[in-house]
Amino acid sequence: MFDAEWYLVFAGIPLAIVAVLALLTLRPGKDRRPRYKPGQPWQHAPVWFEPHPAHVGGGSEHGPAAAHGPAAVPGSGTAALGSSMYPEQPGERALESGHGSGPAVATGTARPVGGATAASVPPPAGPLGGARGTW
Amino acid sequence: MTRALDVESHDTASEGTAPSRTEEPRLDEVFSFKELARLDEALTMSSRETGLRFTLYVGELGTPTRRHAEELHARSGATPSDAVLIAVSPGQRVVEVVTGAGAARRLPDRACALAVLSMTSSFGAGDLVGGIVNGLRQLSDQAGHPAGLRP
Repeated sequence: MFDAEWYLVFAGIPLAIVAVLALLTLRPGKDRRPRYKPGQPWQHAPVWFEPHPAHVGGGSEHGPAAAHGPAAVPGSGTAALGSSMYPEQPGERALESGHGSGPAVATGTARPVGGATAASVPPPAGPLGGARGTW
Repeated sequence: MTRALDVESHDTASEGTAPSRTEEPRLDEVFSFKELARLDEALTMSSRETGLRFTLYVGELGTPTRRHAEELHARSGATPSDAVLIAVSPGQRVVEVVTGAGAARRLPDRACALAVLSMTSSFGAGDLVGGIVNGLRQLSDQAGHPAGLRP
């Protein structure tokens, strides 16, 4: 009864199925980044996301409007590629180390109301509200 | 492909020089492009819906975290009064929501606390982007769509 064919059918086939599934799920992914797990240290540079400015009149509906200029990091000619992501610049961090505040964000905009830079100090926001949570 | 071209650099960069293209962090280092798109859309749409300016900070916060978040909030736009900052520090397991005076009229602290609660429950399960997007949705639902923004 326990001949080669029996082993092939009742051990070989299940093992083959398991191996295929394991290969499919555990294979080194092309885009596998370490998933955040609570309790792990966070070793990425701080990022500050801000919304796209609303398009006022004219211009194309897609992509950053030329009227606002590209979303840019202050002091650099590079533009974010259709994303509102601004990696913190090392220079800013060194600049503000005396004050102990975070990175500056600026939208490269010609409008009077745009993003804030570290240079232009906006009016104080009055009594602040909000909430705090831990997990 | 470009890896083969990354030979030892012979440039004369000093401390104050801006980082070169090869030294810049990858855009999708923290979140994938798909997740970035979700965050982008959530931020932009909730800001347009409500007329408030939602910004999102993800990274280490100085201690005390509240004070650092408030300093960040003060620099988050031209009118910080109408700005809402969501500061998430996954390393410290802290999320801070800071609302300016104008935003706080439409987003009372209890609404913020509710959004924070739903965010932390997602964060505790390891879902950063889902928690942030849901929190933004709750906040913008609470703030509503002012009549002045309706066409």
